[in-house]
Amino acid sequence: MAQLELFLQTLISGFLLGGLYALIALGMALIMGVMRIINLAHGDFMMIAMYIAYWLFTFFGIDPYLSVFVAAPLLFLFGLGIQKYLLTPVMKVESILPHNQVILTVGLAMVFSNLATVFFTGNYRSTPVSYASSAWYLTDYWKNSPIELSLSMPWTLSFIIAVIITIALWIFLTKTDTGKSIRATSQDLEAALLMGVNVNWVRMVTLGIGLALVACAGCLFIPIYYLYPALGKQFTNVGFVITVIGGLGSTDGAIIGGLILGLFESLTATYIGMGWAPAGRFAIFVAALVFLPGGVSSILRRWRLGK
Amino acid sequence: MKRISLLTAFILFFVCVIFTVAQAQDTLKLSIPLPLTGTNAKFGEIEKKSYEIAMEEINAKGGVKGKKIVLEFEDSQGKPEVSRAIVEKLIDVKKQPVIFGEYSSSCSKAIAAVAEERKVPYMVVTGATDDITQQRYKYVFRMNPTNAYYATGFMSFLKEVVKPKTIAVLYESSDFGTSGAEDMVKQAQKAGIKVLVKEQYEKGAVDFKPILSKVKAAKPDVIYMVSYVMDAALLMRQIKELRIDANLYAGGAAGFAIPEFIQNAKEASEFVMTATLWSPQVKYPGAKEFAEKYKRLYKDYPSYHGAEAYSALYIIADVLNRAKTWTPDDIRVAMKATNMMTAFGPIKFEDKEGYTNQNFIDTLVMQVIKGKHETIWPEKYASAKYVYPIPKWRDRR
Repeated sequence: MAQLELFLQTLISGFLLGGLYALIALGMALIMGVMRIINLAHGDFMMIAMYIAYWLFTFFGIDPYLSVFVAAPLLFLFGLGIQKYLLTPVMKVESILPHNQVILTVGLAMVFSNLATVFFTGNYRSTPVSYASSAWYLTDYWKNSPIELSLSMPWTLSFIIAVIITIALWIFLTKTDTGKSIRATSQDLEAALLMGVNVNWVRMVTLGIGLALVACAGCLFIPIYYLYPALGKQFTNVGFVITVIGGLGSTDGAIIGGLILGLFESLTATYIGMGWAPAGRFAIFVAALVFLPGGVSSILRRWRLGK
Repeated sequence: MKRISLLTAFILFFVCVIFTVAQAQDTLKLSIPLPLTGTNAKFGEIEKKSYEIAMEEINAKGGVKGKKIVLEFEDSQGKPEVSRAIVEKLIDVKKQPVIFGEYSSSCSKAIAAVAEERKVPYMVVTGATDDITQQRYKYVFRMNPTNAYYATGFMSFLKEVVKPKTIAVLYESSDFGTSGAEDMVKQAQKAGIKVLVKEQYEKGAVDFKPILSKVKAAKPDVIYMVSYVMDAALLMRQIKELRIDANLYAGGAAGFAIPEFIQNAKEASEFVMTATLWSPQVKYPGAKEFAEKYKRLYKDYPSYHGAEAYSALYIIADVLNRAKTWTPDDIRVAMKATNMMTAFGPIKFEDKEGYTNQNFIDTLVMQVIKGKHETIWPEKYASAKYVYPIPKWRDRR
């Protein structure tokens, strides 16, 4: 019984963590699909959003979950600006290295984390919300349950909001004109150009949406985690690994990849040892590149075509 | 034309040299490597503030041999390779005859190796891994007790009050965490306590629930954790979430012993105990004054790291006052002869129990009672009576 309890509790943790990971990777995959670059400043944009949520909480007492409505639009505008004034001009420059834009994102990541250290100091911060360690317990609802499971309130809330945001993104991508243009550009750049899609505008919107998504992820993370200027790198890594597992540039793949990584990390932590989680993360990263170069999305595609 | 510009450059250079020399005559510049950015920046900040308080006090009393101390801080980002480079620069370029500072064990260890190689005395202020002073380094001194001693106060509390049969040990996979956990396991086994779980985790982990579920399934009497700042708070929060009912939750100093732990873990921090090296309530001369001054300036009591840094500068000033000349070798001789009282406790660098140039002092136990750290053990230093047994999570409001 104790073993079953341990296993189920691990699955719950992994699933909740995976949902949040997926939201981080979603924006990265979207950007990669349209612009063919990996945004290595992704985690640092998340850090910026977390600072917004943190200051709103500290000065105005606004709940971090509500600050999604502030941080996401702000980062959206920020994304438009960065694409227009930084990434697009860089694209035009001839250079020996094909991926000047990727290098630019690395630069941005460094600038942001260092600026954050200058402005906000290296202090660790968190938003101690009143429900931070509340949870629902199985034995509270089912008195004679042989096992005890707990479901953390902030984690569950974060997970549900992440799911809602993902559904909203899906509707946007499939039902609206802009969404369709984004998908068209991601599938075939030249064809989209010929069909009269304003590719520069699509790129701007994509970066904006990608950053808005990671801003949401930041706001969902801060009640359960904490914040410091150098936090970005860690989440950029997570997003990068998931994007590769999911199949570069695929949003469906990113969602499944996120869940896989979350479950994988939790299971390794329980059954092998938590110190192994980062090593395991990169092991599946390499495994995915070698054995499944197209990622989860290639399986999805095969399955769809087979039907 | 070329000549003139060369000449001006030359003159400028000379002016600069003369200027610096003139300035150098009545000041003593000392650079301290500290993690001012990065994940250990919080500790770096506490130490920086404390060094500055000590500097002002010493300068107000006339400085060292008539010279005013000017401190400079070099940011090591908490990375051993950066702190190594900083110290190489200080020794080779700035010719600083004595090195002290740095926060984490890993960084202190890196500096110790450089200092020994270049024969310049280095005083470790906070790095606690046992082996730093176990390598027979002649030039490396350590003012703080080692990890093996962090838990001595806590162990005596366990033996006399809790009398546990089993323990679970969770620790961060850094030098400090690993050696803290190893020492705890060793002492527990010596005391006949069975170690049920010993798990390490990577710093910055988001979700501890998998390993905590494992701990819960093992049902230990005591859960002992060695962590830096935020992990400590996350661990306690998630222990509360999972309702793991142990008889005692305890931390091995560092992240559990600073006020941020209580602010971040909130009600989950209540009744948690921690080993510590110092608290504002200890009865060493100057301890209370320092704690109050720090609180007046920065609105919070300093952790033991602050007291260590504050006292470190007093030790360095004392050593420099006694040294015949300010060459590395004379300073080393003076440092070896140190025997003084500081706000952090008595300082004396001894060779015993396999350690070289190591200071030994009593360690304490603190417990969070009503949202405040109170010293509870040894009883002669206690500021409040300990709360034991502690209530189960289910029965807490």
